[in-house]
Amino acid sequence: MSTESTLPPEPNPAIRRPSRRPEPGGPFAFVWGSLKMAWRWLIRMRTALYLLGVLALLTVVATAVPQEPNVPSTVGRWLSGEEGPGAGVSRVLDAFGAFDVYGSGPFLALTMLLFISLTACLIPRIKAWIRLVRTSKPPLVRHLGGQDQVATFTTDRTPDEVHATAQKVLGDRHWRLRAHEGDPPEERTAKPAQVAGEKGLWSREGGSLLFHLSFYVLLAAIIFGQLLTFEGQRGIVEGDIGFRDTAVSYWSYNPGRWFDETDHAGWRLDLDTFHVDWVRDPLAAGAGQPTEFRSEVTVTPPDGEPYQTVIDSNRPAMIDGMRVTQLDWGYAPRVVVEVDGEVVYDAFVNATASDGGFFSGAVKAPAAEPDVGLELFFYPFAPEGEDGQPIPTGAPWDDAPMLLFRQYRGDLQLGATQQTVNELDTSGLESEGGAFLRPGQSVELGDATISYPEHRRWVGYQVSSRPQIPALLAGAGLLVAGLIPALYAYRRRLWVLAMRDEVTGRILVTVAGRAFQRPEAFEAEHAAIVAELSTATGGGHDEAAEPPDRSDGSGHPRATEDRTDHDDRPDHDDLTEAPTIRDRRTDVLPAPARSGPPSEVVRR
Amino acid sequence: MTQDLAELSRVLYSPTAIALYLSAAFVYLYALTTTVGRREERERGRKAQMLGAVLTVLGLTAHIAHEIIRGIVQSRLPLGNMFEVTSLMALVGILVGVGYLTFVRKRPELNGFALLGGALLMGMSMLLYAEPGPLMPILDTWWRPFHVSMLVAAMGIFAAAFVFTGLYLLRDTGERAVAAARTSVTRGSTVGAAYVGDLDGGGPDLDDPDARDHDAEYRKALRAGIPVVKLAVGTFVVTGMVSWVWWVTEESTRVGVTRFLTVNLVMVAAALLARWFVPYLPSTATLDGLAHRTVAFGFIMWTVGTIAGAMWAEVSWGRFWGWDPKETGAFLTWVAYAGYLHARATRGVQGRKAAWIGIGAFVVMMGTYLIANYVIVGLHSYAEL
Repeated sequence: MSTESTLPPEPNPAIRRPSRRPEPGGPFAFVWGSLKMAWRWLIRMRTALYLLGVLALLTVVATAVPQEPNVPSTVGRWLSGEEGPGAGVSRVLDAFGAFDVYGSGPFLALTMLLFISLTACLIPRIKAWIRLVRTSKPPLVRHLGGQDQVATFTTDRTPDEVHATAQKVLGDRHWRLRAHEGDPPEERTAKPAQVAGEKGLWSREGGSLLFHLSFYVLLAAIIFGQLLTFEGQRGIVEGDIGFRDTAVSYWSYNPGRWFDETDHAGWRLDLDTFHVDWVRDPLAAGAGQPTEFRSEVTVTPPDGEPYQTVIDSNRPAMIDGMRVTQLDWGYAPRVVVEVDGEVVYDAFVNATASDGGFFSGAVKAPAAEPDVGLELFFYPFAPEGEDGQPIPTGAPWDDAPMLLFRQYRGDLQLGATQQTVNELDTSGLESEGGAFLRPGQSVELGDATISYPEHRRWVGYQVSSRPQIPALLAGAGLLVAGLIPALYAYRRRLWVLAMRDEVTGRILVTVAGRAFQRPEAFEAEHAAIVAELSTATGGGHDEAAEPPDRSDGSGHPRATEDRTDHDDRPDHDDLTEAPTIRDRRTDVLPAPARSGPPSEVVRR
Repeated sequence: MTQDLAELSRVLYSPTAIALYLSAAFVYLYALTTTVGRREERERGRKAQMLGAVLTVLGLTAHIAHEIIRGIVQSRLPLGNMFEVTSLMALVGILVGVGYLTFVRKRPELNGFALLGGALLMGMSMLLYAEPGPLMPILDTWWRPFHVSMLVAAMGIFAAAFVFTGLYLLRDTGERAVAAARTSVTRGSTVGAAYVGDLDGGGPDLDDPDARDHDAEYRKALRAGIPVVKLAVGTFVVTGMVSWVWWVTEESTRVGVTRFLTVNLVMVAAALLARWFVPYLPSTATLDGLAHRTVAFGFIMWTVGTIAGAMWAEVSWGRFWGWDPKETGAFLTWVAYAGYLHARATRGVQGRKAAWIGIGAFVVMMGTYLIANYVIVGLHSYAEL
């Protein structure tokens, strides 16, 4: 068991110099003291864990409560009390920013606090790491027998030859070796030379630092991404006029603050054919599942020849740096409305899929007097029953299409109220009855004639420009690149000492090792090094001293993971592990390259 | 023909693979109890371990054959719905758990727990069973096997880690109770405590009857240190944090409650079974180390799988991250396991508290997995089909 309980208290790693600035006295002492306390609380690891927990809770809230940027209409219904827990509760939720969690003050403040805490913890660790890489050396050890893994063998080579071989063996295995040239002369003479090596000390902590630093890359990419990004949506009917990439032609238009309208290239997109199909056999496995979504489009660059391309579910088109993705689709019945023989409306209506298995849309014809409004319900598969009446089914394929509508007359209030294209605000309208139509049919209702000559399909495309993607990928790559060594680089030290045995006159080689993580995995590595060294020096393998306390079986404590790391680590740790530059075991000599006074080292 | 193959793949899975795993688990658990027995008993235990290994290999063969046949029936990788995902999660959990214990840690006697955990997961997957079928077009891309198999593998690894964490907590509770009983003899003073009833000192000679009785006493004390009622109620409550999903989403309340109770009671039974085996477990440090290493491995897989998911989302949905329920779940799980890894290294939190965070992280993972598929409909809700 490790040295935990018998260790003398750790010497102060660094003496904090008193601040030069006098601390404010009088009435400000309290404020100053509180600020200092708050700062110390903030930069503790435990606080960071709590903050992460609260952040996680906020994302749960965001999942349970509809979010304004995603589904504004649902939020509206919550606020008006039509849905959700009621208008009163919704108002309270709104006051706390629960409808826009990711843009709310608490979320941003938490993120900022986490980053401040992370920065405060990283700066000293980065400094320590740089110091570690630049000045630390594998320490020499006086009593090799006190290490966790010790093995000895005898050979007839001279100590210097053994040491040279050991350096080669360890060097080939990528151990970092202590260069003896820099040692002060008195140390070289005071004790027999030894080979000291270590590994994992830089990479484990370095990986952890890289992992944490990648969050800054990700944060910067997200912030700048928000400013530079562009996202717009637009639906196109098959074979109908396409759309041009300009600011005004999008149905929904969400540019970042730094995205300029002149950044649009002005290419044109036409939908030639849209392929969609399903498993139609009701008895087949996966009945009703879609099997195909594919649009064949023609792209016309602003100054070039039109070309044809295909947009698939997983294959968006890239046009002039803009990514065009299929988002949505629906049927587009063409509806013609004539009032007193005059055509007041003739267009494809983009009907969107509803839960009930039908597609709904609206016709708004303000050209008529009074205005004509139609609520449309498109049933793609409504075969005729025995009585000749259509039976609407939920099937989405258009084998027996039927258009059901309800007509309204009155003031559509197009200018006065905010309304969506697909819904009719019926508050100022009077119902004039409804009817259903098969393709090619028309019906007269009052002075209006409504006809449904044909239908096509429409596809909703999202056009997006995300210049932050390369930076995000780089951040993600750094994150993974740091995570792997942070979790899988184990810190180990190894010493090889060859000495003449006064009794036998042969050379006794001792290979001692110490594992800071996963000691049981080190056993095999140590044994392999001993075997290789023994073979290379023509030695006879003599004994492999087991560590004194390695017992196994139930009830017997067995030192395993991170044995030295249990109670001497600073607060921000493991993924945030601070490097222990100096071994605190009593038999370790000071690393002379470090300028620290010798009194810092505990000697036996 | 296809129908026959589909039926064959189902039979290979349940009952064949489940039964093989379960019997292997019980054989291994029996072998575990012999490690403290007499020499001839230990000999029998070694033979039992060999039988367990054979049963495990047979179970794995049946399981893998099931996956392959199911893949052939639907001419696609079996990773398209919740049943397939859970089944593969169990396969990875067993492969990684058993492989790690046997070949890396050289502790094959603990295989029983990994197998038991995997078999329970497979039993749960039968609640989500779906007949083989085609795939939605949006799932039909090379991204899917990469992203999904990464995350499913991570889930299986986290499941193995959960088993180790649970065993660690049980063992730790027992050891603490024994230690507390010992200090109470010395009236709370730790001075001289080492000399009182040194029940676990020095490796006892297993063939010496006195030492064996001594050890048997210690084992009894360890087991008695874990309160049965507390363990049962605790397991019921923790399982309930996830299994309520069945109660809420099942159309018939009776079926829902039955499923809820079945899952919970099976978990309680598993916990009580594990309690019985606590005396034969290795030390807390070993169990803690096993849990930590498995979580570390799973965490890397989870990170890479989530990043791959974001990349796929950018291609397929035109945005890399949209706080979809499943994405939120992936984030929450990531934060929870990151919390575990940090807690393990934080003074005052490491040990039991960190282990509880590990348990909580698994609850978060399973909870978000079920909730995002059943309760909240999002873009990822293909799995219901």
